[in-house]
Amino acid sequence: MVTQKDFKHNDIETLRSRVIVERDRVTSTASTDYPHNYPGLDLAFDLEKFKENFKVKINRLSKNEIEFDMVGIDAAIANAFRRILIAEVPTMAISQVFVMNNTSVVVDEVLAHRLGLIPILADPTKFDFKAKEETSTDINTIVLRLNIRCKRNPNASATETDPLKKYIHSTVYSGDLIWDPKGDQAEKFKDCPIKPVYDDIVIAKLRPGQEIDVEVHCEKGIGQDHAKWSPVATATYRLLPEILINGEIVGEDAVKFQSCFPEGVVDIVEENGVKKAKVVNPRKDTVSREVLRYPEFENKVKLTRVRDHFIFTIESVGSIEPQDLLVQAVQVLMDKCAQVKRALQATLQSD
Amino acid sequence: MNAPDRFELFVLPDGVKKLTITPDTKIPNAATFKVEKEDHTLANMLRMQLLEDPKVLFAGYKMPHPLDHYFILKVQTTPDTTPAHVLGNALTELIQNVGSMKNKFEVKRVLFCYFLLCNGTSSTIWAFHFFFFFFFYLAYHFFLLPGKFY
Repeated sequence: MVTQKDFKHNDIETLRSRVIVERDRVTSTASTDYPHNYPGLDLAFDLEKFKENFKVKINRLSKNEIEFDMVGIDAAIANAFRRILIAEVPTMAISQVFVMNNTSVVVDEVLAHRLGLIPILADPTKFDFKAKEETSTDINTIVLRLNIRCKRNPNASATETDPLKKYIHSTVYSGDLIWDPKGDQAEKFKDCPIKPVYDDIVIAKLRPGQEIDVEVHCEKGIGQDHAKWSPVATATYRLLPEILINGEIVGEDAVKFQSCFPEGVVDIVEENGVKKAKVVNPRKDTVSREVLRYPEFENKVKLTRVRDHFIFTIESVGSIEPQDLLVQAVQVLMDKCAQVKRALQATLQSD
Repeated sequence: MNAPDRFELFVLPDGVKKLTITPDTKIPNAATFKVEKEDHTLANMLRMQLLEDPKVLFAGYKMPHPLDHYFILKVQTTPDTTPAHVLGNALTELIQNVGSMKNKFEVKRVLFCYFLLCNGTSSTIWAFHFFFFFFFYLAYHFFLLPGKFY
């Protein structure tokens, strides 16, 4: 005999550690893991306890993307990381465009904007921020040149209609940006010369006689200033879904139950010739809440999310490797705290 | 044009203090901190860390206006400590907290790279793995990591 729980009533542990997904609303969203909130539970901060409970697991790592689980932190910290990744980890991006000649159909300001958004493969930690009044030096600026002129292709046949074959340089690509090393940059970056991350980004299209001749300056910046300095395409997290079944779901209901979830979330196992639904991989669930629409599953299923289990996905634009992004974000966060801490000490001393 | 400079978001102007403390005149052991050029990223995290301290009775923050780049943080504590002291602790704890996260992540990163590398090998002798992992770990830290940035 399987004991029936009342899924409408939430015990205190569920309220503390889970976000509850209901048919028409999401409840118990705020974190309440603070001292004095729960009798008998000591929730005061303790570094040793934190170290013991905190877990990281890397699920997936490719050239541009990383997915990892972070368990045992508050949403405030997870969200701080997300915000820092998007807006506060510095990168290099084109911020000044000096137009010598531009006879293409793309006007100067649009061209400058397009150039600005091209991700640049350069280690931002090797450069300084350039203040507005500061002059450009090899320590705060990278110079790239783009000098392209479109011509007719003398080898193309007279009946050729494809512009790529008929003309030379009919399309200007990011790969046409040539790095012009200044100072000791050539020596410093000889192992990995500075260039756009991708060589095949279309900047403009030209026809015979048209020319683009520009010099661009890359500077160090952060995403808060302009999105072109953001090192990530996306940085998101979601909470681990959890599907709880009250008692057993058998027979045709089990098949229906399975179809309420994406593939791989629920399995059907046969026990003594009876089909039974079993949750095997709740991680794959999109939490569509389809299952909560049917009266036959009422009080039989409960959807929750684990409040301190974050599934992070970071997709880099390519200038910083995805596994280095989080480490750099942590550094930014620590610097932020240290800065305020110094200011606090200075204020206390001056009073 | 009259658009404000974008760097006003995060560059502290000369003569402006990063942090100012205003003691509350009506509530005992309470103070308001004004932190310049910071946003929800730090404010929400600080609020959370302060609430984890049993000596904090109240902690809350707000950004008074989206065009002003500062937040105010109100803290009330028990009589045996002060809001400034508690805030200092919270900041230290946050740094330690996040530092230990960084260490754990870096270890996992090395482990992950190692097992990716060993995926093709059929060896199941753990002593063997233990031995080679040690060398891999050293190699990763002294050769791969510094060289990663070109």
